[in-house]
Amino acid sequence: MEHAAPISIRICHLYPRLLSVAGDRGNLFALTRRCAWRGIQSSVVEADLGEVPDFTEFDLILMHGGQDCEMRVAARDLAMKAGPLHEAIETGSVVLAVCAGYQLLGKYYAPAGVPPITGIGVLDAVTEGGSTRFMGHIAVACDLDGGGQHRLVGFENHSGRTYLGPGVDPLGQVIAGSGNNGQDGTEGARYREVYATYLHGPLLPKNPWLTDQLISAALRHHYRDVGQLDLLAPLEDQMEAEAHTAALRLACRPTGRWWAAIAARRLNLTDARSHETVPSP
Amino acid sequence: MGKVAGPGSDQEGAAQAVMDRGLAQALSADRVRFTLALAAAKGAGAAGRLLNIGGGTSFPGTVARRIDPLVLRKVIAASTVGKAAITGSNGKTTTCRMLAALAQAAGVSVAQNRSGSNLLQGVTSVAVREADLRGKMGARLLLLEVDEATMRQVAPEVAPDMILITNIFRDQLDRFGELYAMARVLEASVEALPARGSVVLNGDDPLVASLAPQAAARRLYFGLCAEDVGTETPEHAADTIRCVRCQHPLTYHRVYASHLGDYECRACGTRRPDLDIAVTRVQESPDGGTDMTVETPAGTVRLHVPLPGLHNVYNAAAALGGTFALGALEPGSAQSALASLRPAFGRLEEIKAGGRKAILSCVKNPASYNATLRVILQRPGRKHLLAAHSNTAVDGEDFAWLWDVDLERLVPKLESLVISGTRAEEVALRMKYAGADRAGMWLIPGCRAALDAALARIPPGEPLYILAGYTPMREFRRIMQKRGWVPPFWEE
Repeated sequence: MEHAAPISIRICHLYPRLLSVAGDRGNLFALTRRCAWRGIQSSVVEADLGEVPDFTEFDLILMHGGQDCEMRVAARDLAMKAGPLHEAIETGSVVLAVCAGYQLLGKYYAPAGVPPITGIGVLDAVTEGGSTRFMGHIAVACDLDGGGQHRLVGFENHSGRTYLGPGVDPLGQVIAGSGNNGQDGTEGARYREVYATYLHGPLLPKNPWLTDQLISAALRHHYRDVGQLDLLAPLEDQMEAEAHTAALRLACRPTGRWWAAIAARRLNLTDARSHETVPSP
Repeated sequence: MGKVAGPGSDQEGAAQAVMDRGLAQALSADRVRFTLALAAAKGAGAAGRLLNIGGGTSFPGTVARRIDPLVLRKVIAASTVGKAAITGSNGKTTTCRMLAALAQAAGVSVAQNRSGSNLLQGVTSVAVREADLRGKMGARLLLLEVDEATMRQVAPEVAPDMILITNIFRDQLDRFGELYAMARVLEASVEALPARGSVVLNGDDPLVASLAPQAAARRLYFGLCAEDVGTETPEHAADTIRCVRCQHPLTYHRVYASHLGDYECRACGTRRPDLDIAVTRVQESPDGGTDMTVETPAGTVRLHVPLPGLHNVYNAAAALGGTFALGALEPGSAQSALASLRPAFGRLEEIKAGGRKAILSCVKNPASYNATLRVILQRPGRKHLLAAHSNTAVDGEDFAWLWDVDLERLVPKLESLVISGTRAEEVALRMKYAGADRAGMWLIPGCRAALDAALARIPPGEPLYILAGYTPMREFRRIMQKRGWVPPFWEE
């Protein structure tokens, strides 16, 4: 890491006010804090309605959730940004897209009884409206790039049902919860360095492995030839682990979810349960 | 009717009471069922009080509805009472208390669900408690605090004459789905108001002010028109900062709290409506409360509100609007009506906690949390905090909104931090990313142990701030009530 200038990444926060429905900014906090704790500088540029930045200038792009009505506004605006955003994604910029952000990267979202919302089609995915909401804790098993099993935990709150085409991979398989559509057991989507998910709100603080994966990928984008930057300095993540375990326990609660508990046991996740929170002095 | 009476001794006793009064033989089965429901509910309420199990704030309603599902409709039909429903995200309880004080100062007798039990059972409880065994209520005004999601069920049964909507913040999205869906529920209840009825709306809240423009009822707007308070731009957690009609970003001339303020849409011309109840002057008074001047259609009112914070100015303006809508506002008697008001339980409530001072506040969404933080941060000194959240049916499952609270402003001022509740890990993680030091945090899931640990850590003379969700707040209060530090909440 013998760079003269401090190591840094450039983050673009898309629609920070329009698409920010439930604590979504927690993801940004997680990224910038975990960079700062390692001495990595991060600059954050907000891209609002009407602005068309050169997205290829950014290493990491964040796009979060919103209600249908705000999503419609974002969709109209995103059409203008589609070209440079597409180019950035094809050249390896990292994207975290959550809920509405996820749906907008797909081809369309068609809520019942109203005109469909057109996405920019970066992801080979379509979303149909549903009559009920998928609302609750969710746990997902991920194996990204064969890099080993990881678990994502969080909360989902969406009525859209997303169906993936052959051009994208799911982000993971649902352990407990509903995921993309409640039917095929998939959750989220992965295409190049795009990570799309229905886990809303602050997903990253509780899943530090994903935060670090995003930071690593952003560093790779920024310093294209520097291999050792892959190895981020480890951080003290005990509180993150405790929050992760607590969220996993909620997702796998036996009440009405006995099958999830069994699945968790099958998937060898029960070790996490022994992680009781200890009052510390 | 033997099946209805059931084997329970309470119900048998109630049935006996009915027989004793010689009513049963003259009445139809339906009538008996109604009377039985009333008697059983009254018995349940008395038993609840006697056994000290929560003052019977929603249990009597549950009992009454089990026996006669139409009990609330029947009491309403049998009574000649004015009916007011106070709803919205924040400020319902305090607005209700203020409205009751203002109406009582004008000589109007009030029946109300005072303890924040604002679901259908709680509303039914107050109706059956106030009714005699024939189902007629004695009070002139039935004042109901109604949970915003429960308006759907309560409004058709109560048929209110007046609806007051305090504000709409993102309050537990996992319970209500989306903000606009909830707005539509409230809109439907406003549209169902009779033409002689009235709706009192927060004019400073773009979403609330735009509700049900075609409704037949009389519209009254309250809001702030004061230069000495507020800011130029909205803070982070502001929810509705786009025009409700055309989605263009709103321009604010003044922001008073979150998304509340004097707004205008430069695209479609929508702007804040003319205020009927306008707060024109706000000044903090030495006792921590607020002196305010309010222009109303009944004349100028100068009020002293012994509660801190701009959110209580909104509550007072709302209460004045509601009182005026009900025809009970007398500017003369109003001036001193709120002087004896104490904070509603768990609303920055000051408690003498065994030689220490605790300040208990219920925080349930970014808006109420930020409003409380503003008050706390104005006070001098470093802060001792006990923060607690639990996932329950009332508090919701999802605590993502904690990341919308501006805790970054509080954390540098923290001297000690204890975290409790079933979601303690989530709260702790939020605090860590707000800059709190792990070594200075205590995670103690149990409320009692957490309270004792937090109190033990503070030096005498410095207050412990307890910021908790509704369920842990009730738990802290129950513990402190057992120790004689606070009165039971139903005696408030």
